[in-house]
Amino acid sequence: MSGSGISGSLLTRIALLVVVVVFFQIGVVSEVPVFGVVVDLSPLVVAFVGLLCGSTVGAATGFAVGLLVDLALVQTLGVTSLIFTLIGYWCGRLRELRDPQATLTPLLVGAAAAAAALVGYSLMEFLLGVDAPVSLELLRQILLGVVVDTIVALPMWAIVRRSLEPGLPDDPRRRRRRAYTTGGLSPLSRA
Amino acid sequence: MYDKTVRRRRAVLALLVVLSLILLTAYFGEAPGGGGLHSMQRGFLTVVSPIQEGANKALKPVRDLFGWFGDTLHAKSQRNELLKQNDKLRKEVVAEKADEHGYHELLALYRLDQLSLNDYRPVTATVVDKSPNLWYSTVWVDKGTSSGVQQNDPVINEEGLVGKVAQAAPDGAVIDLITDSEVGVSSRINGTRATGVVQPKVGDPNDLVLQYLPANTSVSRGEYVVTSGTISSPDDSLYPPGLLIGQVSSVDEESGYTSVNVHPLADLHNLNVVQVLTDARGSKPASLGSLATSLPSSGQTGTGENGQLATTGTGE
Repeated sequence: MSGSGISGSLLTRIALLVVVVVFFQIGVVSEVPVFGVVVDLSPLVVAFVGLLCGSTVGAATGFAVGLLVDLALVQTLGVTSLIFTLIGYWCGRLRELRDPQATLTPLLVGAAAAAAALVGYSLMEFLLGVDAPVSLELLRQILLGVVVDTIVALPMWAIVRRSLEPGLPDDPRRRRRRAYTTGGLSPLSRA
Repeated sequence: MYDKTVRRRRAVLALLVVLSLILLTAYFGEAPGGGGLHSMQRGFLTVVSPIQEGANKALKPVRDLFGWFGDTLHAKSQRNELLKQNDKLRKEVVAEKADEHGYHELLALYRLDQLSLNDYRPVTATVVDKSPNLWYSTVWVDKGTSSGVQQNDPVINEEGLVGKVAQAAPDGAVIDLITDSEVGVSSRINGTRATGVVQPKVGDPNDLVLQYLPANTSVSRGEYVVTSGTISSPDDSLYPPGLLIGQVSSVDEESGYTSVNVHPLADLHNLNVVQVLTDARGSKPASLGSLATSLPSSGQTGTGENGQLATTGTGE
């Protein structure tokens, strides 16, 4: 699925998930620092939607989440959208090209998405000429941010998958893989 | 068929990236507080602030639970530190009481008309949300223009300066904390005339830096940094003089200037209630603020010492 087979049900589910996660992030998660940093759920949601739904949906979700975050937090419009669009697209391409099935895939994708978001945001702010001294502490904060986001990546993956799976079209590749593992359609089982 | 899918996928990506860049460019091109995109942000704030407030109330028990664990862990170390501070402050109060009497006599003698906290109308507001971003330190409060809150109004709590109002909607406002990369506060070391600008250290949410102090300024660890009651650019907030900002944690001597690391006194991670210092129309802060904005920027003309545009008499 690269965008053509998107059902209304899936779109509604993604929209609901995005709104709930962004407001939960701002209202609750941001209030609870872990190791001195705040867990950021928004890049994880974008990455996992991309990983489940493909590059086009991932990129569009990234843009929407970024816009919502920038609007809600009165930040410079477009910065988060740009970064999240690329994250969503990249995760979607990962699924389309390699379709990784390992249990640790969400963990690694989550870590990569968090790192991309934090580093990308810092680079953008440097490029836009932030008028404040930048300390080495920034590096520590980025590393800690990646660590705490990685910790919550697996539960977040479970939530995103459970929320979107009923709306996802049945993927022939996954169906075939399931069939092989249960012995149903395997050519070996016929012999 | 495959080519068509690839082309469409790339077209969508290009479109979204271009759209983001257009938004970014247009947002930067607009004057802060004016323009379509800033108005859109304010409109969004107006629509979602009641929802945020409701969600905040509903989710308060969850936040309190997490907060309780954190607070308990820090309580013991804080208690010991506060006991030491209390001893030191008691001695200082006794010494300064004597000075205060003479100071008021001198003020009356010279009829100095100072800007003070009493010239503002404080509006108490509850913090409803916080920004999770490393680069933006912002919080939402539940009071807005309907309560008299305006853009650039100073925000304090019982510990000291918290920040200033970045955007105000009828039922809510966004506060830029003093650790936000866009905030700079004209300040001085308490008890001296040396003024500088307190700025955040990006990436270090627990630290501020007081820059542009004259090189010969004598500063020692533990001294308090307070607002100077001046502004360094027309977009600044006119903070009342003498508001506590933080305590000096270390001093760096740089070429031509002294740079001082400052630990903020207000616990910006656990803000629950703040006060927005609003200025009623025709009040002294309002008239001083409008006077300051009508003057050319500090880089264009000869201004006072350290480039401040408006001074309110800090009464050294």
